[in-house]
Amino acid sequence: MNARQGQAAGSRRGGSTVLQAIRFIVLCVGAVAMLFPLLWMVTIALKSNNEVFQIPPEWFPRELHWSNFVTGTREIHFWRTFGNSLVIAVLSVVGQVASSVLVGYGLARLHFPGRKLWFSFFVGSLMLPGFVGMIPLFNLYSNLGWYNTWLPIIVPAFFGNATFSFLFVQYLKTISVSFDEAAKIDGASDLYVLTKVLAPMAAPVIVTMVIFAFQGSWNQYLEPLIYIVDQKKWTLALAMASYKGTYATAWNLFMAADLIYILPMLLIFFFGQKFFMQGLGSVNSAGLK
Amino acid sequence: MKNALTSRKLKEWRNGYLFILPSIIGFSVFVAYPLLSSIYYSLTEWSGYDKPRFVGLDNFKYMFSVDPAFWPSIRATFYYVLMSVPLSLFFGLCLAMLLNRGLPGIKWFRTIYYLPTVVPSIATLTLWLFIYQPQYGLANSLLRTLGLPEGTWLTSEKTALFSIVLIGLWQVGSGMIIFLSGLQSVPYELYEAAEVDGAPRWRVSLNITVPMITPILFLQLILGIIGAFQAFNQVQVLTGGGPNFSTSLLNFKIYQDAFNSKMFGYAIAEVWVLFFIIMIFTALTYRYSNRFVYYESDNAR
Repeated sequence: MNARQGQAAGSRRGGSTVLQAIRFIVLCVGAVAMLFPLLWMVTIALKSNNEVFQIPPEWFPRELHWSNFVTGTREIHFWRTFGNSLVIAVLSVVGQVASSVLVGYGLARLHFPGRKLWFSFFVGSLMLPGFVGMIPLFNLYSNLGWYNTWLPIIVPAFFGNATFSFLFVQYLKTISVSFDEAAKIDGASDLYVLTKVLAPMAAPVIVTMVIFAFQGSWNQYLEPLIYIVDQKKWTLALAMASYKGTYATAWNLFMAADLIYILPMLLIFFFGQKFFMQGLGSVNSAGLK
Repeated sequence: MKNALTSRKLKEWRNGYLFILPSIIGFSVFVAYPLLSSIYYSLTEWSGYDKPRFVGLDNFKYMFSVDPAFWPSIRATFYYVLMSVPLSLFFGLCLAMLLNRGLPGIKWFRTIYYLPTVVPSIATLTLWLFIYQPQYGLANSLLRTLGLPEGTWLTSEKTALFSIVLIGLWQVGSGMIIFLSGLQSVPYELYEAAEVDGAPRWRVSLNITVPMITPILFLQLILGIIGAFQAFNQVQVLTGGGPNFSTSLLNFKIYQDAFNSKMFGYAIAEVWVLFFIIMIFTALTYRYSNRFVYYESDNAR
């Protein structure tokens, strides 16, 4: 509601045509600067290796070398690595979203002693720098025999994500408690209320969580770097980071592989743009409340 | 009747704890345990394989007076935070203000500016590694085409850190969206009132828009500071801390000391120093925020 009002307010105060034009031009220049690195990447990925190292450079490839995508992805054992990343991402998403939804429901809807205390612990832990736990946890996982496995990356996902729980709590606040009460009078359990009554109504925030959890997992670098030595277990992030060193001479292949690594995120972005924006918007409301 | 009530209450208590159990376990194991145990580890010499040996404050003494890499890395970290946080906030806010009002193609602009933040961190950094490559990279090719002198980018200690900051500005889109949603929730009545009073445009921006979004600015500032102090990937992928320690951010040094040099006790001591610095910065920001952060009602906090 508010958002629409603000926008309407904005367009009415759109300003003089000259100012509008200046604004448009500034935005165009900025947009070109934003897109240029990505477009350059695409042109390199389609060039032959000789063309890449040509001086002066030609901006566009003379012939399109689509085969770079095949060769480039083979160099990083793409399908294996992609599979690894995908398995890790799916499990992390399921774990984080499921556990955060449970925790969020408990914190938002159930009354029990210590609720506020735990809530402040969870939210407070967001302020802690992530690396504080890095070394003791490394030691813990090594003692459990989890070194060089995916477990240190996947298992913690199932024990709640404070940001997501917080988002879910905030969202549940916008849904009237009378829905819960009506179901409970009919004898429904808490789990039923959560999964059958509230979750469908909270679908937008759950989708946002899924997207951000996937993005987080696809981006993750430090943990895999610390824990996974065996190349066969590498994720795409690890493979790309080491590829840049080993094959620094074949830029075209590298860029092709890098583009394929980005592709899933781009697809999610184009189909789920709304949820990205919503999710970031709710970061706001979280901060304001 | 009373019994039934208490048993229902007890059931709710039990269910409450069952529902938040994942996070209680998560908090205890992944937050509290490492936090508390690392207080002890920071006072030990520990290679990660053998038993930690208690050495008192020796780690800190070594850090402050012997380790030749410590102060340069503190310096780099401060420079990095002081450059990257204000710059990203400034550009994020400017972009949001430009994109807040109606304009042809406004949706496209928003999408384009947000797009770089979708690119995974490692893909971004490896891409920029090639962009900054002195001979064939995009940056210098572009400068040559325009007839400008070439840049040294990551190869000189004068420019390396700033080049890393620049990559962060390419990803200013997420901050922009957060500011944008804040701008759009500024009540219309305020603008209307200003219009009736005939206030000039710049006054409207300065006296209405900016104060109304200071709470968001404040939150972004805190999160930005915490995030910037923890920068790691950039250094690991782009420079390895060089040239001459100019990009050796503390978090990267901690990683190296722990996992390359196997000085776990020492690295944990460094973690505590970094943690302490972050706390001071956050506390100072909180303290001075009262002066500039505007809350609509006092009890909104």
